[in-house]
Amino acid sequence: MKNRLNLSRRSVLRGAGVALGLPWLEAMHATPVNAATGASINPVRMAMLYMPNGVNVPAWTPKGKGRDFELSPTLEPLAALKDRVTLFSNLWNEGAKSGDGHYVKEAAILTCTTIKKTQGADLANGISVDQLAAQRIAGQTPLPSLELGVTPVAIGVDAVVGYTRVYGSHIAWANPQTPLAREINPRSVYERLFRAASGTPVDAARMDALLLDRVLGDAKQLRGQVGTADRIRIDEYLSVMRGLEERVQRAGSGQKSTWKPKATLDPKGAPVEKPKDHAEHVRLMMDMIAVAFQTDTTRVATFMFGNSVSNISFRWLEGVSAGHHDVSHHQKEEDKLRQYHLINRWHVAQYAYLLGRLAEMKEGESTVLDNSMVMFASALSDGNSHNPHNLPIILGGRAGGRIQSGQHIVSAEDSPLANLYVSMLDAFGTPVERFADSTGPLAGLLA
Amino acid sequence: MRLRCALPLAVVLGSIAPIHAQDQGFAQSQSFLKTYCQACHIGKTPAGGFHLERVDKPSSLAAEAVKWASMARRVHNGEMPPKGAPKPTVDELEQFSQWTTQALRTEACAGGIKPGPAPIRRLNRDEYSATIRDLLDIHLDIGSALPADGGGGEGFDNAAETLFLSPIHSEKYMEAAKFATDFAAKEFKSRQKLLIAKPGPGVTEQQAARKILESFLPRAFRQPVTAGDVSLYLSLFEAARKQGRDYEEAVFFAVRGALVSPKFLFRVEQPNRTAVVQPVSDYQLASRLSYFLWGSMPDELLLDAAAAGKLREPAVLKALVARMLRNDRSLGFAQRFIEQWLGTRDLMGTKKPDTKLYPMFDNDEELRSDIRLQPVLFFRELLMQNLPVLDLIDSTHTIGTRNLAKLYEVKLPVPRDSANQPHWMELPPNSNRGGILGMPAIMAVSSYPYRTSPVLRGAWILDAMLGTPPPPPPPNVPALEEAKAGAPNRTMRERLAEHRANAVCASCHSRMDGLGFALENYDVIGRWRTEDAGKLIDNSGDLGPVHFKGSGELRKVLLDRKDLFVRNLTNKMLGYALGRGLTLQDSCTVDAIVDQVRNNGYRAQALVEAIVLSVPFRYQAPLPVAKPPAAPAVPSKLVAVNRPPKQIEKE
Repeated sequence: MKNRLNLSRRSVLRGAGVALGLPWLEAMHATPVNAATGASINPVRMAMLYMPNGVNVPAWTPKGKGRDFELSPTLEPLAALKDRVTLFSNLWNEGAKSGDGHYVKEAAILTCTTIKKTQGADLANGISVDQLAAQRIAGQTPLPSLELGVTPVAIGVDAVVGYTRVYGSHIAWANPQTPLAREINPRSVYERLFRAASGTPVDAARMDALLLDRVLGDAKQLRGQVGTADRIRIDEYLSVMRGLEERVQRAGSGQKSTWKPKATLDPKGAPVEKPKDHAEHVRLMMDMIAVAFQTDTTRVATFMFGNSVSNISFRWLEGVSAGHHDVSHHQKEEDKLRQYHLINRWHVAQYAYLLGRLAEMKEGESTVLDNSMVMFASALSDGNSHNPHNLPIILGGRAGGRIQSGQHIVSAEDSPLANLYVSMLDAFGTPVERFADSTGPLAGLLA
Repeated sequence: MRLRCALPLAVVLGSIAPIHAQDQGFAQSQSFLKTYCQACHIGKTPAGGFHLERVDKPSSLAAEAVKWASMARRVHNGEMPPKGAPKPTVDELEQFSQWTTQALRTEACAGGIKPGPAPIRRLNRDEYSATIRDLLDIHLDIGSALPADGGGGEGFDNAAETLFLSPIHSEKYMEAAKFATDFAAKEFKSRQKLLIAKPGPGVTEQQAARKILESFLPRAFRQPVTAGDVSLYLSLFEAARKQGRDYEEAVFFAVRGALVSPKFLFRVEQPNRTAVVQPVSDYQLASRLSYFLWGSMPDELLLDAAAAGKLREPAVLKALVARMLRNDRSLGFAQRFIEQWLGTRDLMGTKKPDTKLYPMFDNDEELRSDIRLQPVLFFRELLMQNLPVLDLIDSTHTIGTRNLAKLYEVKLPVPRDSANQPHWMELPPNSNRGGILGMPAIMAVSSYPYRTSPVLRGAWILDAMLGTPPPPPPPNVPALEEAKAGAPNRTMRERLAEHRANAVCASCHSRMDGLGFALENYDVIGRWRTEDAGKLIDNSGDLGPVHFKGSGELRKVLLDRKDLFVRNLTNKMLGYALGRGLTLQDSCTVDAIVDQVRNNGYRAQALVEAIVLSVPFRYQAPLPVAKPPAAPAVPSKLVAVNRPPKQIEKE
């Protein structure tokens, strides 16, 4: 009916042709060096990967603790990275203990607060830890953060439990009222990274800056005309447009930017727009995070393997015959538990793939993985009972040496997950005194 | 525990229990509260800071309406009384929550019908695309590059409350505006529409550009603009000229600016700053109408009617509704409304039938598209022909194509050369294909991708059709097991019977499953079958004391509950039309609309007309004085972020 035309396809990469696959990166730049100490200065990156529906707990739980631990069957794909990851036991998010089985837990996985039950009118969560970090280093990279996924935002309201599905589709929240929209088209992500990293030509940037300046003026005038309740929306507009204006102004000033890409993207390397299946889609998104981190186009990323209560069919995975959420309600049946484990392990394998990619990316003496914190998390332990205790959490990388990886940290029962976030924010260089119900940094994590 | 599953029986059965006289009902509600809540909610430090004295007088139904509504909801959902405390019986619980809901409605309507809030809202992705298309006369689905919008309110993606903005939107809007204006600059039709003045003898460039903007901006902003607006965008033209752009480039640059203005991206209405309810302005009403029925900006005719001040006359509005429904653009309304209301938008996503088991769905694009569009076109036909909305439950006609006829195993009475086109066709008697039940799209989205589920189908009917969703399952409820390899083939009914043997599950499942069983003759993609797992299908269902067999009798049972159905459809469509969630206040409007629809033989256009003529659609409430929460600033170093859960609990 409509003459569909995707904008991005025609934009920067006109005629780029089909995906060329890896590698996407060209020339490497020398790593900046601290003049006084001679040590390389590498920025710390933070990524959060979220898996819906919890885990098969016995298959997940690693044996042993501290440095003396064994990977479990589900965690087996991490074998080659054992000394680069940190495993956690007994963390939870107390704010999500009641409410409902999914939304209240999953929307708050990075905010550690209690979401308000609503069909949308008074959305309330907290600011998520990734966004807090991104806002605190705003302007240091071309993009403030990346929000990625593979399934479109879930539609409508879950009338049974009374929550808008907006909660179940977003883990990154700029503020308690505003979740961040996700990009699910890998090609668009690549083009966005490319554009952001290569910058707008000075002349075009000047025009854009001019245009934004007038439009922001229009918005300010409008703000004075609307009622107080509506000002929130205009403020949202002002905030995102100002963010863009600042970036455009930097580009349009013609001055050499202090930011330099740490690697250059191949303009011909854009991946496919519609991956052939779920597995390829996830892989491409992992690649996008890796590329974004290596080029230093952004230092903060979140990724959702699926929305809350995701029932994506995993029948394509050897040994699995049902959908994800379905299998997670396993009733302690052996066969379903086995399938549950297989689905969990597949997710861990994708995570391991990302860590592997980052580990291959040299950054002076270190690697991008060494300078990153890549979290893998589910907001439930056993999905069958929607259990919020002892959440399955892994952290990959060393945050530039701040994190003592290669251990299984077993905290006291029901320790706040927020403590981990306090430590991560510290390692990221954006410390906070408290985050939600945190009681301090997570013992044993930071060097 | 059992009670967590309980559903208001009377509501489901449609046999609404007689509403007690307000005072008698009130006394009963107090006795309920005394019995089950008093232990915790009295004294100096009542649990949760909630003292029963707040709700112990009849006047509290008005003064503490929000509290009452929240009590009824929490009791109904089994959240209160808490675990371990004595629980009310199912009957007591249902009586309490039902009486409360009714009493609150009566109370809310006592002061007459009020318009409710009309928050400003961003154009959603579809509206953005359609508006750019109509404004510039270019045929591009330009919004496809934007992130998809979620949904809120009554479940639609045009709900103001969930149309937030992210940094990615700002980038995409800028790119899209550039792309659209570059495209329009090369299109003959767009240029003609836009470039209505030319510089030449006696006309300076600036004068021509001004004239163009004076005509363009009111259309872009969908209302008259001020001289200040024109100057602002004219200054973009001037700046571009100064930067060395040629005349036309500079004009399109100003147009590009307007396309990222909040006045274009948002639907903004002038707030009502008086102390009383006011009609919305004609232009605002034109926008409300066009975004409701077309999902796009008002056309010239609408804008002319607005300019002439004619839109306030009910007769004009009625004629307009009929004209707008006849327009091709109303197909978009039918599609957006039906696919979100009935959930068939998920057909291509999470509810897509399994590729291996139903390969035809993957391989046959024509069939897939027929399946997807059937309920949409059916609904649109009801609107165009002004047929009763009850035809959604059962009807003598359906939308047929060659593919669907094959799936249905019926003969299609249309010429062969157009058999791939959708047709409004009469069904043979007792065809089991009347209404939306039995349509492949509906049967697929109420199934698992790889098998049917009487539970999901029953819950789907309760939620989507009757508007009485079942309460959430209690924690730790096992899902239905899959057929095990080697285990004897058991039918779905046998497997569910085991499930229902569990008392915790039975109270809800007896209601959901009983409805769903009647649809077991339809497989995942709606094909008729008489066997499942090698056994004959038993399609007998029940709802409370009512027993029935098969989809035909189920349709009759649903028709007996037509008031619930029509009320639910009205809720949904009013929510869609207003672009927000409905409030308690709006239930009075809904009551009035349902009456009008009933009095007009349930005609589809009567429903749309009644919504368009309703108070919330045509009027504006005074601006509330309450202050919203301040937008939080970026937390600086060393601060506490997010409220700990314990603090939230106390509030």
